[in-house]
Amino acid sequence: MFDALSVSGTGMGVHQKWMDALSDNIANINTARPTSESAFRARWVVAQSIEDGGTGRGVQVAGIELGSTEGRLVYSPDHPLADARGYVRMPDIDLGEQMSDLILAQRGYQMNIASLDRVRASYQAAIQMGRG
Amino acid sequence: MAVTGVGAVNLGQLAQLYRAQVAGGVQGVGGTAGTDAAAATRGADFGNVVKNGLSNLENLDRAAQGKAIQAATGDLTDIHDYVIAATQAQTATELTTTVRNKALEAFNEIMRMPL
Repeated sequence: MFDALSVSGTGMGVHQKWMDALSDNIANINTARPTSESAFRARWVVAQSIEDGGTGRGVQVAGIELGSTEGRLVYSPDHPLADARGYVRMPDIDLGEQMSDLILAQRGYQMNIASLDRVRASYQAAIQMGRG
Repeated sequence: MAVTGVGAVNLGQLAQLYRAQVAGGVQGVGGTAGTDAAAATRGADFGNVVKNGLSNLENLDRAAQGKAIQAATGDLTDIHDYVIAATQAQTATELTTTVRNKALEAFNEIMRMPL
């Protein structure tokens, strides 16, 4: 009955998952691994729309993709995980890109909340009209 | 329709007489049989609407309560889910109340009509 409310709910869910993934990436930005292993892989949330032939049912998380395994080779010979030549593998995550994505996710979440508020106000107005 | 006597009234026959009279009366008026049927279907439809609305409201309320319990115990991963379920239940409740008020108003209006 209240489709618009559920649709906004799915939007908020996906943006929350995105924020979870982004904060995980930012938290692991300094996770060093030995060169024998793959680097910490960034997480990408894949969003997919829920089609129903009509006005749509919102969005869902289709899956979580992992980023590249190469990473950056950083020269730090004093690091306990450094290999024979003194290199460790750091994740290839651009902090600026992650922070701007975080702003996008936050704004997306807020926009879904605004849409929900508008829809709820419309329903309330319709009920008030019936009351008068 | 043989009346046996004042002392010995046959109740079964009386019931049959009453039933025959009622049936004859309805058919005798003529067009009211059709409107009675139409009124019966309208009444049944409105009753179904109210029943479906109430069962829908009960489902929404139950879902909202389940989400509230999850939020209190810390199992709720999406915090907006509880707010959305509570909003849906609240809007459905207000809608059902308004429908009931309007139906009651219309009924009272008709009952107040001087005949």
